[in-house]
Amino acid sequence: MKRRIKRILIDLIVLALGFLGLLSPFIFPQANSAATQGATFPIMISLIIVLCLFIVLFEAQTSLIDNKIMAFLGVLIAINAGLRFLENAIPGPAGFSPVFFLIILTGYFFGSRLGFLMGAMTLFVSALITGGVGPWLPGQMITAGWVGQSAALLKATVDIFKWEGRPIELILLSGFGAFWGFLFGAIMNLWFWPFLGAGQGQGFLQSAGFSQNVQRYTAYYLATSLIWDASRAVGNVIILAALSRPVLKILSRFKLRFSFQHREQSTT
Amino acid sequence: MIKISSLSFTYPQSTTAVFNDLNLEIQPGTMTLLAGASGSGKSTFLRCLNGLVPHFSGGIISGKINVFGSEPIKEGPEHMASRVGFVFQDPESQFVFDIVEDEIAFPLENMAVPRREMHQRVDEIIHEMQLTNIFRKNTRDISGGEKQKVVIASALVCQPQVLILDEPTSQLDPVAANEIIKYIVKLKSQLNLTVLIAEHRLERLLPYIDNILYLTQDQKMVYGHPQKVLPIMDQVPPIIDIAKGLDVFPLPLSAEDFPDEKKRFQPVEKEHPHDENKDSLDPFLDVNNLSVNLSDQKILHNISMQVNKGEILIIMGPNGAGKTTLLRALMGLIPSNGSRHFMGDDMTKMTLTQIIQHIAYLPQNPNDLLFADTILDELKTTLKNHNKSLSPETISAFLKHFGLADFQHRYPRELSGGERQRTAIAAITVHNPKIIFLDEPTRGMDYKAKETLSDLFHEWCRQDKSVLLVTHDVEFAANIADRVAIIEHGKVKFYGSPKRAFQCYPAYQSQTAKLFPNTGWIIPEDIVLTT
Amino acid sequence: MKTAVAWMLWLITCMVFILSTRNPIYIMVVLLNLLILGNHLAKKKRNNEWLKHNTFFLLTMIGLSTIINSLFAHSGRNILFTLPKGWPLIGGNITLESLVYGAINGLVISALYLLFNILNLSLQIKQLTRLIPRAFHPIAMMVTIALTFFPSIQQRAQEIKEAQIIRGNPMKKMQDWIPILIPLLVTSLENAIQLSESMTARGYHVQVNKNTNLSLVGLVFGAFSIFSAWILQLYNYPEGILFVLYILGGLIILLTLLHSGKQRTSTQYYKEQWGFSDLTGAVFMSVYLLAYISLLSYNKLPSLFYSPYPNLSFPPLQLLGLLFSVLSIFPLFLSFND
Repeated sequence: MKRRIKRILIDLIVLALGFLGLLSPFIFPQANSAATQGATFPIMISLIIVLCLFIVLFEAQTSLIDNKIMAFLGVLIAINAGLRFLENAIPGPAGFSPVFFLIILTGYFFGSRLGFLMGAMTLFVSALITGGVGPWLPGQMITAGWVGQSAALLKATVDIFKWEGRPIELILLSGFGAFWGFLFGAIMNLWFWPFLGAGQGQGFLQSAGFSQNVQRYTAYYLATSLIWDASRAVGNVIILAALSRPVLKILSRFKLRFSFQHREQSTT
Repeated sequence: MIKISSLSFTYPQSTTAVFNDLNLEIQPGTMTLLAGASGSGKSTFLRCLNGLVPHFSGGIISGKINVFGSEPIKEGPEHMASRVGFVFQDPESQFVFDIVEDEIAFPLENMAVPRREMHQRVDEIIHEMQLTNIFRKNTRDISGGEKQKVVIASALVCQPQVLILDEPTSQLDPVAANEIIKYIVKLKSQLNLTVLIAEHRLERLLPYIDNILYLTQDQKMVYGHPQKVLPIMDQVPPIIDIAKGLDVFPLPLSAEDFPDEKKRFQPVEKEHPHDENKDSLDPFLDVNNLSVNLSDQKILHNISMQVNKGEILIIMGPNGAGKTTLLRALMGLIPSNGSRHFMGDDMTKMTLTQIIQHIAYLPQNPNDLLFADTILDELKTTLKNHNKSLSPETISAFLKHFGLADFQHRYPRELSGGERQRTAIAAITVHNPKIIFLDEPTRGMDYKAKETLSDLFHEWCRQDKSVLLVTHDVEFAANIADRVAIIEHGKVKFYGSPKRAFQCYPAYQSQTAKLFPNTGWIIPEDIVLTT
Repeated sequence: MKTAVAWMLWLITCMVFILSTRNPIYIMVVLLNLLILGNHLAKKKRNNEWLKHNTFFLLTMIGLSTIINSLFAHSGRNILFTLPKGWPLIGGNITLESLVYGAINGLVISALYLLFNILNLSLQIKQLTRLIPRAFHPIAMMVTIALTFFPSIQQRAQEIKEAQIIRGNPMKKMQDWIPILIPLLVTSLENAIQLSESMTARGYHVQVNKNTNLSLVGLVFGAFSIFSAWILQLYNYPEGILFVLYILGGLIILLTLLHSGKQRTSTQYYKEQWGFSDLTGAVFMSVYLLAYISLLSYNKLPSLFYSPYPNLSFPPLQLLGLLFSVLSIFPLFLSFND
């Protein structure tokens, strides 16, 4: 119980920090000398996200309680990184990413912590492999982590209503994939927004209020990444609908074998 | 020394004990071979000695184990790492790092050895084990034998007193396997190790071991000198079979030990049913002057061979000779020059879909094929792929040939290794192809499983189907071959009768042939029949 | 220059410079340097397409940014044309100033991108992995495992795909990927069990950290401290308070991570070898950074703060500014020494 409370607390703190950070261009109107201040936005936001990652990863790490689960997750991450490679090799419509379904299913089946680790570290490892380490990486990591983490909430919902095994479970999973298809893009754009000088007082108007800036952002989003996100969402739906059941079955077969509470031994 | 008292163990979720009340003492500096059928508990026993059982596996254990002063049951595997080095079967799934040097240093890191000492010890072991030319390389870029050496080095870097190896040569070709065994023997005397090794191909180890630990199917154990234990084992290598049959005692542990007088028999030429080159007029598969080029390198030159109805053709050759490439070229998976004909039809004009109607292919790792929930579903998938369907009765009868009729609704991955392989074979032949290609099907199998497989092949041949099989296993091949092709450096070095292949070529001599040269005998059954 | 630390110093230094100026001339000089340096490093790795690809990316980025900014921001005196005011958000004047401003943004983004791209070129994956703080050791080990397994998974996926195709899998619908994904998943997870067994047998065990709660509090506190310092900075609070908050936050986080890292009882085999060029590079970059920051705080570099608004003018240039921009290419000289 105590552990639960601690986890929820950490989650809330990180969410608060993370979103405050990402939404800061909207929330904090500029003081004067925008030129100096504005330039701090992109790098400070990245820094805040890195700090948030430190917090969550440090806490999530405690779920890696033995070698088995570590090897298990390590291998899953390798597979997912391989899928990310496919993203470049197989010409799906732009934005289509086979990476998310394993993240969602891991979080769904193994809980929020392991889901977060799966998401964040998949992005990290594939960045290492493809040489894609850059200032966007923390944002990608934490968002992908949130994808995995929130999947556990979905599982909780399914458990409450005892929908496990029924068609509605599949529908929910696919819907979840569609939802995150869009949300992932929206959050990544939020991250990128300050780099376009959004915090500088010209992407925004200095005296513009919150809602005006939101409007601008919406326009920017629609113009640039709607198509990307739509195809990602659709892709997720198709993959999840087809592959969830078999993969979940495999995961449940392995759960027993990776079970780390089986250390009963008695010496007579 | 290793002292075991009243050891019993049961896996979690299991009702039968793996072993019951085992008592045993193993002297230091000895090499002990663990023998027994698959599933008899060899792996479990070995894992008891370093604490993996029960700390890693779970389960209920009782009794005491003392390994050179440490108690693995109490201390657990992390503390036993410096006493016991453990080498598993598949080198690739043991690598944590991608560079050899880092992999070898791994245990030292875990034991918090100071950096300077780590480098010293790693250098020492690299020199002792002659790994100086590979220690900077990527663990994926070295050969199978070298990989296993790296694993052994990593196990030995903590200077343990005991070295345990669980089927270390299963994934290796014969040359690498023999090298590793000699290597282990040398290390044993060099470092004064106590070695326990589980192995199916007993003949590789017999000349070097001090004792055999034989685990029977009914949870009993026999431990002692090979002369004492070998006579009571069910599954023994051909040389022992021959010796027993000819009343040669003490049992010879290698061909050199076989006393000369017993070898002087009247060589009675046994009629092998496939002596003559029966190049028939309408072969199933006719290959002429096949060549394969890959990135400007000639992998295969002018390969010609035939497979006839109801025949088993064995393809042998050293690693890298091009055997797997040959199979893939025959299937049309890679481009080739030359002609291939299936029952008279030109295969170069057939699509892959058409070819796979007639030819089935079992890859090196049959697990790669299995994905469904039940054996029945696996069969149904293939049928669906080929737009066919069969009645349930037909399917049951079909599965009966494989001994799987009772397992129809079982999850394939829960079955034993041999059963899984047969499931895969059933899954790819359910649409009744005429030929099956198999790539190294006998890796890691015990004698019983190999027998079952041979029976399966013979049954097929009775149904007028053919088998094309790539293998390193000379004994297995000698038992079933109708024709043999030996490929070296991409060329056909030999193509003809098994008798000549397994008698005349030293690298491919079966044990029987080694003992009785110039007789035409290639398997023990040959001798028993004629004396 | 080979060590991770030296390159990171270079990265941080250049990043500070790029983010603190809006002077297009300076940024263009830096960009040019990065292109030269990157091309040189890429050629060493036999990648001859690098320059082409990245120039293309550059131009796209600059173009995109220019267009976006000119569409959304409507201030500036040199009006090029006007969109009907009725159009939501983009209605209004399209001015030269906003075009230039957008272009400058594009330059900054591209420079940052190239910066990290060069980091990827110069460092090996292993070096990047080893930068993970010791406090995150379990995660670092997991990453190592993933990296080691990755090539074999690719290979196995190929083999499985081929085997299933031979079995007749048409490979058309999404469902047809199941016979490939499932065996891949199962076999790989079984390998994972074997791997963890081997790791256990060689003495590796995940250590339970004591005081995780305390460390978490430390990290949260540090993050809040830095975050609030930044917010206050935006509201122009006095520098003293900002300084304290920043440093406090940073120190707490650093100390927490160090303390947590110390709990891990294992040693590291690998140690980065520092060569002459690494030392030179590190020293040089540190001096550069310190000099730059002091000049900045004493307002000796006004040419950094350029804005095209309200009326477009040619950006001011200072010798010192130019010097700082040009010196970003320093690693290139060092690499001739390697």
